[in-house]
Amino acid sequence: MEPFIEELKRKIIDTLELPDIRTEDIPTDGLLIGNDLGLDSIDVLELVMMIEKDYGVKIENREVGVQVFSSVRSLAAYVSEHSPGAGR
Amino acid sequence: MKSIRAFVCGAGIVDAAGIGLEKTWEALQKERSCLKPLSLFPVSHIPAPPAGELNEPLPADGDLPRTHAMALLAAREALSTQSSVPGAIVLGGTTGGISTTETLIRDGVLQPEAYRHHGLGTVAACLARSLKCRGPVITVSTACASGATALKIALELIRRGQAGAVLAGGADSLSRLTYYGFHSLQLIDPAGARPLDAARRGLTVAEGAAFLLLVGAHEPPEGALAELVGAGLSCDAHHPAAPHPEGAGALDAMRRALADAEMDAAAVDYINLHGTGTLENDLAEARAVRALFAHPPPLSSIKGIFGHSLGAAGAVEAVVSVLCIARGFIPSNAGCRVPDGALGLQPVLRGRPGKVGAVLSNSFGFGGNNAALVFARPTGKARRSGHPEIMSFSVTGAACLTGAGPTDETLEAFSRGETLRGRPDLGTIRSDLSAASLRRLRRLPRMALILALAAGKAAGLPEGAGSPGGIYFGTGWGPLTETGDFLGQLFASKEQFASPMDFIGSVHNAPASQAAIGLKATGPNITATGGDYSFEQALYSAALITQEGEAPVLVMAADEHHDLLSPRLDPAGAGAGEPADGGAAFLLKPHGPAAGPRLVPAFLSYVPGDAEVLAPLIEALGGPEAIRDRFGALFAGIPASTRPRGESLLADFLRRTAFTGPVIDYRSITGEFAAAAAVAAALAVDTVRRGLLPPLPPVNKVTSLNGKGILLLGLGEYVTGIEVNR
Repeated sequence: MEPFIEELKRKIIDTLELPDIRTEDIPTDGLLIGNDLGLDSIDVLELVMMIEKDYGVKIENREVGVQVFSSVRSLAAYVSEHSPGAGR
Repeated sequence: MKSIRAFVCGAGIVDAAGIGLEKTWEALQKERSCLKPLSLFPVSHIPAPPAGELNEPLPADGDLPRTHAMALLAAREALSTQSSVPGAIVLGGTTGGISTTETLIRDGVLQPEAYRHHGLGTVAACLARSLKCRGPVITVSTACASGATALKIALELIRRGQAGAVLAGGADSLSRLTYYGFHSLQLIDPAGARPLDAARRGLTVAEGAAFLLLVGAHEPPEGALAELVGAGLSCDAHHPAAPHPEGAGALDAMRRALADAEMDAAAVDYINLHGTGTLENDLAEARAVRALFAHPPPLSSIKGIFGHSLGAAGAVEAVVSVLCIARGFIPSNAGCRVPDGALGLQPVLRGRPGKVGAVLSNSFGFGGNNAALVFARPTGKARRSGHPEIMSFSVTGAACLTGAGPTDETLEAFSRGETLRGRPDLGTIRSDLSAASLRRLRRLPRMALILALAAGKAAGLPEGAGSPGGIYFGTGWGPLTETGDFLGQLFASKEQFASPMDFIGSVHNAPASQAAIGLKATGPNITATGGDYSFEQALYSAALITQEGEAPVLVMAADEHHDLLSPRLDPAGAGAGEPADGGAAFLLKPHGPAAGPRLVPAFLSYVPGDAEVLAPLIEALGGPEAIRDRFGALFAGIPASTRPRGESLLADFLRRTAFTGPVIDYRSITGEFAAAAAVAAALAVDTVRRGLLPPLPPVNKVTSLNGKGILLLGLGEYVTGIEVNR
């Protein structure tokens, strides 16, 4: 899981064009939204699009989104579980 | 002195219920939802969520986009009882001809001719040509508050004696941009909008066009349907898309509207809510309503019936508010079964006949742009006194941005008679702004923020001090980078992927909203757009809205060059060779002792066909002798797309006024872009301050202004006149 978490952090930085942020600045288990990174609900929706595009996993409503994006670890778990290749 | 009042003497509407007032009236009576699966274009979401699509075919009218065609129908209905031509048109909208443009872009069409109906300003221009309206023609884009914002401007045109009758409203058709955009924001209710319902999930996108004919008079004219007694504008200055959670801006707009109407909240008989059906809007609006009304009157949102027609919605709901007054009816909050207890409101669940004396109608949009209107029964009793005039301003701070660089570099280059053409490198300007604050800002909002901050600095204000009383922003083409990126990704992915960030950034009012957030400016926030005359429209709007004694207002304009879109959309820039962009901003003090040069928006008129407009322009400037006495130079703005017409207008103006001073053809210096007029105004302000005209063609040597001012003319599709006086 850890390499995948690292990969997701990289994608979050690239997708949101976070300036001067390295992957180690993003908490793995802590809150993704509402911390020093300054991300908000629009960033989450931009990440929803990235996850669908790059991993084929849809997060279609905000209730699910709130759960999935609570931390990078929960995002990694959700994507692993729901990706079209999962279970093969 | 008795105030001129604005009576509603005509109304016209096209919406999801069909074409014409009676279709809308019937839908309201029957509480019938007009929302059904979208059929206008195929969508990648199966099943397609419902939309508020017009259910009748539009008359074929050449290659006019849907928005234009709907606007023409609604306008003709609004004017059907009148024989005279309105003296002004004010239109609110968010997407103009985008429904046609996006298909052209998808299909790779390159010819600029095919895109000639793209601009938001082309809808009002199309009406003006069709109706032969000569006078102020203004387009405002304040997202979902656009239609109501247009009515506020129309009200002030009447009150300030600028027009005897004004056609005002809004128009927006369904488009892929807005459909996929709201989908990407997860703001669409798959079951159709259920405003105020406990189970609501979002809005339903819709289309429509609606207009009111406002007639200025001291007493109600025969057949008057209602009176527009007040209107209020505000800005949340909080977030690019989400409303202020407590509804602070919504409350402020309602308070301003009631104060403008000189009416107590207790006199309101019905509130037509914005009520989109999103969780956030309905909650914020409910909080604002409860803060203003101890015991709210009957209230409802009609978006469960018609959906949310975005820029048209405020005008659609203004027409419905007028019908409620004229025909005595309180419409239901269709779509709502179980009101959300958290809102603390009891919406009207069954429509009912009843006398309605006054209606408050709310419209709120992206960028925190809020507008509220108050309509009342047309009685003999005037509510307010006084006869305000159109405002003139003194310049307390000016800033500009051109290919030569920011203000100092631009003015320096200008004083040496050098070119300013090109595109400024924004990366090197304001490198002190934090990367985080600029993260989501592409080229146009970044220019707007840089200019807004620089104008304050030029006025000697410490950063963060003294928020402007209002922000008035002009842009010919809006944020092209965001629009291009959104559509590019949408079509490249076969309509699978749409970026919420690009969508929010693509709205014309996004840059002004960024400036409002940066400056904490919670007053009126208007984005005006009309191709090459957008700055003039923004300045004119500021002069109409600004009140005596108000804090200085920020008036600015900017446009960006976009390699893919500018050559197709902007006819002036298309043939200009070297790409150029930039803009300018002014912090302007209403009236008061002149602290610097004065900026006076003296004249703004659309020119339908070959109508005579120079005579009224010359008259507005005080006549030929006054023009020769007061102005030491003339800065003429002649867009490349209308060169022959502009040059002939200029020659005619010089002949009629016998003006012999220097005439500067400023676009040869600034380059061709829609906001060039704003840059020219900044150059004129600096030149008037110095009293010396730089060595420019055709004179090519430093010339004294002899203590006089500069007259800034726009000559082409519009004729405009701005005085820059000492």
